[in-house]
Amino acid sequence: MGAALQNLDYFAFVILFCIGLHTLVARPNLLKKLLGLNIMETAVFAFIVTSGMVDGGAAPIVDGTVTGPFASPLPQALILTGIVVAVSISALALALIIEIYRQCGTIEADELKGVG
Amino acid sequence: MKRLLAAMVVAAAAIPMFAGVAGLPAPGDAGAPAHTRVAARYVEAGVRETGAQNLVTGVLLNYRAYDTFGEVMVIFAALAAVSAVLSRGPPARRPGEARPQVETSPVVAFVIRLTAPFIAIFGVMVILKGHLAPGGGFQGGVILGALLVLLSVVTGRGLERPLLPAPAARWLQAAGPLAFAVVGLFGLACAGTLLGYPAGPGADMLRAAMMLMLELGIGIGGAAIILWLFLQMRGE
Repeated sequence: MGAALQNLDYFAFVILFCIGLHTLVARPNLLKKLLGLNIMETAVFAFIVTSGMVDGGAAPIVDGTVTGPFASPLPQALILTGIVVAVSISALALALIIEIYRQCGTIEADELKGVG
Repeated sequence: MKRLLAAMVVAAAAIPMFAGVAGLPAPGDAGAPAHTRVAARYVEAGVRETGAQNLVTGVLLNYRAYDTFGEVMVIFAALAAVSAVLSRGPPARRPGEARPQVETSPVVAFVIRLTAPFIAIFGVMVILKGHLAPGGGFQGGVILGALLVLLSVVTGRGLERPLLPAPAARWLQAAGPLAFAVVGLFGLACAGTLLGYPAGPGADMLRAAMMLMLELGIGIGGAAIILWLFLQMRGE
């Protein structure tokens, strides 16, 4: 139980991830599905950046004015990559949603089943 | 029924994740293996090996330059895919449905025009100081891209008369991959590996120039791509 309480931050991110997953699965609207996906991505980014944090640590900029401890630079760099990929996913998904609306006149998944 | 199914999917994802994170070292614990082994190495040798005081930039452009190259290609591919999906096809509105005409507020237009040069200077500074201070190509590129989007809205210039002329924009959108190609081949010539950096104490200027070129390519390319994504989605 002690270990579980220490990791409260991580539990919060799992809950955020689940909120996003539920939006993705349960909502028929394609835009809301995309928002759910974005919430899931945010949860993962927050989780990984938090795992690189050190208590009382400074930003990893080593210019001689600050002496350690420094937060780990690796998760931050990886998540920067991840954010750009998330932007690309959002852009492509939005373009596809626009095209679906042009072709079918709706973006509700359950209505789209009947359009064929 | 559908709700029950959704709840079951969420539960099936949540339970293993809760179990997994409960076993991790506490966040902020400086004794965790990730900090004592991986991060300590970067903090100790990063500045000497990469020449970048900002270790995030050092990791991004030097240790993991391949990852960053991949990321630049991903956003470029996203632009290509969005253009392919949206560039042909009927207009987004059905015939007879008029485009809603909303005039831009003169106050908003004036304030954006007034602040535009300062935003541009800030964006360029974030790009150029990326290896010394918080910032870098992506961040600065997003600032410049947002500025271009704002100006497009205020001046009402869409795809047919874009802020950046189309032939130039095509090259600017490819600035990221092109910068990586040039720096990668240059590294191949001087260090023997693709995207390699010349080693040794005398090569500091050269390494800084290579990183700066990557940052500029990423920043300019990012700004042009963001503007084009916006214009494609707005249409007309």
